[in-house]
Amino acid sequence: MKLLVRSVQNQGIPTASMADIAFLLIIFFMVTINFEVDKTQVFLPKTDIRLEIPKKAAYISITESGQIRVSGGEEISVPVHPEDVLSFAADVVARDPAKPFVLKADTNVPYRYVDRVIDSLKQAKAQVIYLLSEQETVDSAASGG
Amino acid sequence: MKFKRGSVNDEIPTASMADIAFLLIIYFMVTTTFAATRGIDFSLPQDDDSPLVDKEESVLIEVQPGGVLLVDTKPMQLDQILEYLKPKLERNPMKPVIIRSHEMAEYGFMVGVFDELRQAPDKIGLEVKNVSIPTQREIDMFWY
Repeated sequence: MKLLVRSVQNQGIPTASMADIAFLLIIFFMVTINFEVDKTQVFLPKTDIRLEIPKKAAYISITESGQIRVSGGEEISVPVHPEDVLSFAADVVARDPAKPFVLKADTNVPYRYVDRVIDSLKQAKAQVIYLLSEQETVDSAASGG
Repeated sequence: MKFKRGSVNDEIPTASMADIAFLLIIYFMVTTTFAATRGIDFSLPQDDDSPLVDKEESVLIEVQPGGVLLVDTKPMQLDQILEYLKPKLERNPMKPVIIRSHEMAEYGFMVGVFDELRQAPDKIGLEVKNVSIPTQREIDMFWY
């Protein structure tokens, strides 16, 4: 008479669903991936009000040293002379009068560089400018910048 | 003579599928950038015939280098601006507010002032509807 039947336990980790999970993750990343339009590295000003910027907006970035790069919505931005911003903006507005512009300027850039760009956008009859910003944090709010 | 018939495996080999999937995941994780695509919107005047803002009738916020703020020529902290504006907006909800930055003032301080004005509905229960940021060219042309 058999008294003890030792049950055989599978000691392996079940990996059958691993590929499914991996593909779900891939789909998630593919859906949420957001190709940055302009990759210019700047320190953005911090604000509390932050609205979603429409996709395919035209970008104008200004570095701390005042160098300007523009992009009509493509991933690649090109450096331009400050005087050429007006012709760029006029060209963009001529193609799509409602096209929003995103101003991606360094928080420490002297205002005269920004002033020139805003003036060019006004002259080109741009309708809306988005001032790109980062989320205000408690620390930055306390320090006033 | 005997010929051995080779057996063909008719299944698709999927052993490496998980490896490929994880490589793709790593690629997407590395290349995904959570871009800062948010900011403050600022509508530009479209009509050339839009009325000029009267300097005397408006509140002038001057942004000086180093973040020094002068509101109607009085030095003021950023968090004091809305309290200063509140009685004026109660009397005239369309009270024009002009933000004028010194050419050497840091851009971030101007954005800070604009952000503060946009928060008026939450902080003082009134909206600052008429904000203008004149450019130097406009100041040279129209400032009087």
